Amino acid sequence: MNRVLVANRGEIALRIIRACHEEGVEAVAVYSEADRLSPHVKAADAAVEIGPAPASESYLSVERLLEAARRTGADAVHPGYGFLAEQAHFAEAAQRAGLAFIGPPASAIRAMGEKTEARRRMAKAGVPIVPGTTEPLPDVEAALRAADEIGFPVLLKAAAGGGGKGMRVAATAGEVRKGFVQAASEARSAFGDEAIYLEKLVERPRHVEIQVLADRFGNTIHLGERECSVQRRHQKLIEESPSTAVDLDLRLRMGEAAVKAAQAVGYLSAGTVEFLLDPAGKFYFLEMNTRLQVEHPITEMVYGVDIVREQLRIAAGEPMTCPNRPMRPRGHAIECRITAEDPFANFLPATGRIDYLHTPSGPGVRWDAGVETGSEIQLYYDSLLGKLITWGETRERAIRRMRRALDELVVVGVPTSQPFHRRVMDEAGFLSGAYDIGYLERVGGELLSPEPSEEELQQIAVAAALAEDEARSAMVPLVENDKAGPSESPWLRVARLRGLR
Amino acid sequence: MKYTVTVGKHTIPVEVKGDTVQLDGHPVRAVLAGFPRTPLRQLVVNGRARTFAMIRSADGWLVQASGRAWSVEVLDERTSALRELTGRGRGHAAGGLIRAPMPGLVVRVEVEVGQKLEAGAGVVVLEAMKMENEITTPGPGIVRAVHVGPGAAVEKGAALVELGEIEP
Repeated sequence: MNRVLVANRGEIALRIIRACHEEGVEAVAVYSEADRLSPHVKAADAAVEIGPAPASESYLSVERLLEAARRTGADAVHPGYGFLAEQAHFAEAAQRAGLAFIGPPASAIRAMGEKTEARRRMAKAGVPIVPGTTEPLPDVEAALRAADEIGFPVLLKAAAGGGGKGMRVAATAGEVRKGFVQAASEARSAFGDEAIYLEKLVERPRHVEIQVLADRFGNTIHLGERECSVQRRHQKLIEESPSTAVDLDLRLRMGEAAVKAAQAVGYLSAGTVEFLLDPAGKFYFLEMNTRLQVEHPITEMVYGVDIVREQLRIAAGEPMTCPNRPMRPRGHAIECRITAEDPFANFLPATGRIDYLHTPSGPGVRWDAGVETGSEIQLYYDSLLGKLITWGETRERAIRRMRRALDELVVVGVPTSQPFHRRVMDEAGFLSGAYDIGYLERVGGELLSPEPSEEELQQIAVAAALAEDEARSAMVPLVENDKAGPSESPWLRVARLRGLR
Repeated sequence: MKYTVTVGKHTIPVEVKGDTVQLDGHPVRAVLAGFPRTPLRQLVVNGRARTFAMIRSADGWLVQASGRAWSVEVLDERTSALRELTGRGRGHAAGGLIRAPMPGLVVRVEVEVGQKLEAGAGVVVLEAMKMENEITTPGPGIVRAVHVGPGAAVEKGAALVELGEIEP
């Protein structure tokens, strides 16, 4: 493997390019017209424009991606997450074109991608599943019958789904009717497949997932769990590893189930088996994400493993570097997803230009992002700007570090989820570690109550008044020096300053 | 100079005299210093420092503190007195008009002209960043006009649906 085509954009494209460079492998970036100036384009050894801004005409075009690979002499392709990452036909097309696909075999993607088939297979392999239908529902009436049978509340889910798209909770028949139409419509536009199935809603569960890695030498291992229960509308916002709800015994049992799940579909490369963990400590298979996960860095931090590097090695036919036995996590890692969403306006997606960006650094801090000062945030793609990850010897130290890192982060020009994360890091429920996927719904309102403190209010008012006063009264305001207009000659200014001495 | 500063729904009078500001009738030493080529300014009040990102806006400043942006209106004495006389406040919402809170694509329109709505009822479903977002009415009303149809791309602030008052 000499040259990898990275079939993605944003932070994950940059993450993969970095891994390639560390392995001494060249990376080819692809970009849409809207992404011409993106950091991932600059970081790559070659870059190919693959079409207009809409993903359907660029990042989702198998033909254009393969053409870019052929033109640049790439011998492997990494799909990242999202876009074509979990499309079996892309893995097949890449292989037909003579490219190594850096991910699982197409057959494994297909088996896990169709959620109802995955449920059937897991049940057969002895992996616990949530009660519900194991076939897609033909219509609303069938959904209503199934809901009556297993009992409300239920969860309507896209059979081709993931990431909360095409998913609705229904507590009544009316909500089933409404949710079925919405979920099907969302599933059609997100996955091109409107098949919906239904599960019993597990009450107050945690979302805990297990990272697995498998190579061609018969090694399938797990790298412990990630706690992903801080979610909004099934979109993860904060993840941590390890989970406060998982002890050594449970980790081994969940890890074994995840390894069994991966082996049942002949899995290779990195993958994630998602489970619901109920308050009694029972866990149920939810789905398997047959790709690199957004939140993979927290696992890397506590297990000391570079997951993308392992993916590159596995795709090149080499054995993984991890030992084939359960490893112990060291310390604690937390990830906050910094998205272009306004937490004070119901997390509405925002667009605009990043006028100024200062990123956190220092001990135990990792910033994985796909934006920089000047980046235009557009509506075409996901709202994820970057991921802020901190590591500490203990959970408490990791949280302290996250507070410090969030205080360092400055993003000007686009509202972000940053203030939400900062508040969570002080919230009693989160600090106790006793939370589940209903967390945000319960504490969100209070957490995001828009009132600033009296002290902060006064500071803001004083700062604004001083800035206004200065702007009005100063001939050449000190702070505006660098913005002095072209009419002001630098010679004249120097002369005037000398005169003042 | 005396200023009337409005942050959200709070109004705070601030008088600036050199390095001293009058706040709640107390004099406080306050200095604001900028960092060239950045929107950052550091405020030092009574020896305690805090850094904000500040950008000039139409009627004041956009002040960003800990990741949260506040739209701050700063009026001098004269303008503030004029405002008081004419009784004109800022930022009145257009009555009965539901606007797009973000740019997006209209997926569905869930109401018809003449339909009576309760507060919180869904009116339009907008797709943005691959998620469907239901736009709801903040209060009760009767639908007077629907300005968009499925498939329409709308900008932030675009009029979606017009509501009238329900006759008692």
